[in-house]
Amino acid sequence: GRLALEQLRRGAAPRACETAARKLNIGVDIIQHGVEGLVYLLTESSKLMISEVDFQDSIHVLGFSDELNKSLLQLYLDNRKEIRSILGELAPRLPSYHSLEWRLDVQLASRSLRQQIKPAVTMKLHLNQNEDQTAQVLQTDPATLLHLIQQLEQALGEMKMNHCRRIVRNMK
Amino acid sequence: MELSPYAQGGWRLLGDPRRFPRRPFAALLRAAFRSLLDHPQAGLDDPDLKDIDPTVLKHCHAAAATCILEAGKHKADISAISTCLEDCKLDKERIEIFCTEYQKNKDALEILLGSIGRSPLHITDVSWRLEYQIKNNQLHKTYQPSYLVTLNVENSDSGSHPDVSFSCTMEQLQDLVGKLKDAAKSLERATQM
Repeated sequence: GRLALEQLRRGAAPRACETAARKLNIGVDIIQHGVEGLVYLLTESSKLMISEVDFQDSIHVLGFSDELNKSLLQLYLDNRKEIRSILGELAPRLPSYHSLEWRLDVQLASRSLRQQIKPAVTMKLHLNQNEDQTAQVLQTDPATLLHLIQQLEQALGEMKMNHCRRIVRNMK
Repeated sequence: MELSPYAQGGWRLLGDPRRFPRRPFAALLRAAFRSLLDHPQAGLDDPDLKDIDPTVLKHCHAAAATCILEAGKHKADISAISTCLEDCKLDKERIEIFCTEYQKNKDALEILLGSIGRSPLHITDVSWRLEYQIKNNQLHKTYQPSYLVTLNVENSDSGSHPDVSFSCTMEQLQDLVGKLKDAAKSLERATQM
């Protein structure tokens, strides 16, 4: 069980399998296959989020002892959440929001025009993409800023609308 | 407000009634303003200008455009412009024609000059999409709402730029909107000071 979980977290560890094989006095291959089988069982069960009953029915067909079945079930339930979060990281992803810094600027002059008063909001948008963090510098004027706020507040409000609530309820 | 010797030379030609009678003078000024504000080629095909020697025309057009841009850049007032043109030996009537034309086009000129320059990518609009994830090929029954936000951005140099897109959860979007509202509030406070 332990080997299977370590394999899920960090990848295969052939030396650990060898140690286990020596201790139990069986071939390394058997250990490795056993570990891989266990890994497959745990990931598929966690991926599908199957219930206890379904899990027990599935492994019953393997013909193990009751005690072994119970420990397998326990192994599944104890580690399901962690396995699901590991699997979740494998899904395709767009850059995701991390944070935003902002600053208020007033442009007073430029090479082509003196004596200006031009307010602007300068922002640094921090995004995460596959473990890299990128920062992008952006700027906007006051009118667009208010427009952005209004649009995004509308977006937030959508989740509270009846339509979305109904779908979320029915999907579960 | 100062003009280069080349520009001053052009204005001296413009001030000469033998080279530039009144109608071509007015036509050239109009052409200079239009070529800066509307279209680079505009105005030089005015029939009033057809009798002027092309080299002289080119010199004077450049001089007029230089003066217009310098006046716009420094937000020069009428007296400054008048002084400058007097130094080029222009008579009062011609100076007044120029100043009238300048006043008419002052605002458009200011907008044009203000828009030249470098700045970070400018956000022009935002679009968003709300989705509810059910499953993916690695994980089923995910049941999570997520937002996809796209910021339309413009580059001051080239005009367009690929948009900035990112996904976020509801909490993250709330954080973003909160920060934008802080910025707007401090903007409001700054304008009241």
